[in-house]
Amino acid sequence: MTENLDRRRLLTSAVVGSAALAGATALGSLAPEAAFAAGEQAIEPGAPDPNFAEGRITGISAGMLFVTGSDTALWRIRITGGTSIWKLRPTTFEQVAVGDGLYARGLRLPDGTLAADSVWVNIVNVHAHIAAIGRNLLHLDHKGKRIVGHLVPGTSAARYNNTPAVSDMSMLRVGKHVQVIGAWVPDTNEVQIATVYANA
Amino acid sequence: MLSWIAPLQPLLLGLVLLWSARLKLLSRDAAAAAGRSALARLVGDARALPAFRLVGAVEAALGLLLLAPPALPAEALAAATLSVGFAGYLAYARVAAPDSSCGCLSATRTPVRWRSFARTGGLLAASLLALPATVGWTDVLATRPLSAVALLLGEAAVLVALSPELDRHWLEPLRQLQVRVTRPLAGGGFAVPLDSTVEQLHRSPVWRQTAALLTSDLREHWDDGEWRILVFTARHRGDEVSAVYAVPRLRYQPAAVRMVLLDEPTGQVVLTLHAPPDSPDPDWLHPSPAPATASAVGSAVALG
Repeated sequence: MTENLDRRRLLTSAVVGSAALAGATALGSLAPEAAFAAGEQAIEPGAPDPNFAEGRITGISAGMLFVTGSDTALWRIRITGGTSIWKLRPTTFEQVAVGDGLYARGLRLPDGTLAADSVWVNIVNVHAHIAAIGRNLLHLDHKGKRIVGHLVPGTSAARYNNTPAVSDMSMLRVGKHVQVIGAWVPDTNEVQIATVYANA
Repeated sequence: MLSWIAPLQPLLLGLVLLWSARLKLLSRDAAAAAGRSALARLVGDARALPAFRLVGAVEAALGLLLLAPPALPAEALAAATLSVGFAGYLAYARVAAPDSSCGCLSATRTPVRWRSFARTGGLLAASLLALPATVGWTDVLATRPLSAVALLLGEAAVLVALSPELDRHWLEPLRQLQVRVTRPLAGGGFAVPLDSTVEQLHRSPVWRQTAALLTSDLREHWDDGEWRILVFTARHRGDEVSAVYAVPRLRYQPAAVRMVLLDEPTGQVVLTLHAPPDSPDPDWLHPSPAPATASAVGSAVALG
């Protein structure tokens, strides 16, 4: 924990420290060849993207996720220090559990594993109507099926009319259409809400 | 007691059937409602609308017969048969086309649920109640107006409560009122959500220059005084580095966003970047600060 705090202090001072304040001098280069050094892999039109995986997690071992895709493809997804993991919020590998669903993007390695750049765990995108509102609860009507949306204080945000997100949910109205980005609670009809888009 | 309840049922049934027929025969949304209903599955898309209209015509005819004076047991029997038919249709819709709409009382999209079955059951019960009627409903309304109106209102309320199509006219306003009274979502607080910071980052000049370097989504974030620090993974000249952005936390000033690319294992800074401060004048208005560098002079000479 203290190691992490030290690391954060180092990174913070690197980006907002006094040295950076001195002037707008750029150290290093942003030439296009730096940005696109990795090169693009050509993918046949219509062919599945080899660098993308989705499915349910069936096993976890050190740094590796075993995933069964919806088309029953088996994936081995390698998590590195550079992998971003989202599960309701940016989080760590320890928070990922067997049974979770995921989308992953990365680079297919010659040994068949996918070295993940980004993993989104249980992420869902739902267009629905608000059927009822309870304490930190949105009952959503999604094409006649009920979805229970849990608002997580401190994490859930609302965006009204495409203005920047706020924590204030009080402008949500029963009967109105909303779009919800959230984390599904596996094998239930419940989601934890990350962002709700609404018109006020 | 049945003697005054039974004759009232044809009035209720007739009104409900006429209301239902109104959608199927007169509404401009009839075609859409027919297409969404399980009828499209049952008789085919092309015949859904004629079938929908036919059901409407049968409903209208029976509704008018029920309302017209001579109260015959045959009418009640016909209404009961129609209710059983509706129940069969609902069961078919539930099984064969669970995503279809009921198409019962309104063009509003309403999947078949238990309430639709309960409503059909209610109509069937009313039809059976009407069987022993010997006098017309006008007579009962004339002799005991108060109890008759109360009964009809009660039955109508039950039918409305069992109609998902009508929820937006009474249930939604009730729930809106409840929310207005209890305010269940009031405690949102004034903390700036992460989403808001990320959006500010996306609108910054620094992001426009460096987004192409990033390979990962947001990896980590924390607050430090007036800044919120966002960490991504980036690829720079073939090396994996951390892209550390500092975004103003409590003010909206995308131009103030700054970033460093940093190799974490060694702690070496690869690149620092922050946008020039906002200036109302374009750069070329300012006098040239320093004498031209040697290379610039060289190229000028070559051009001259």
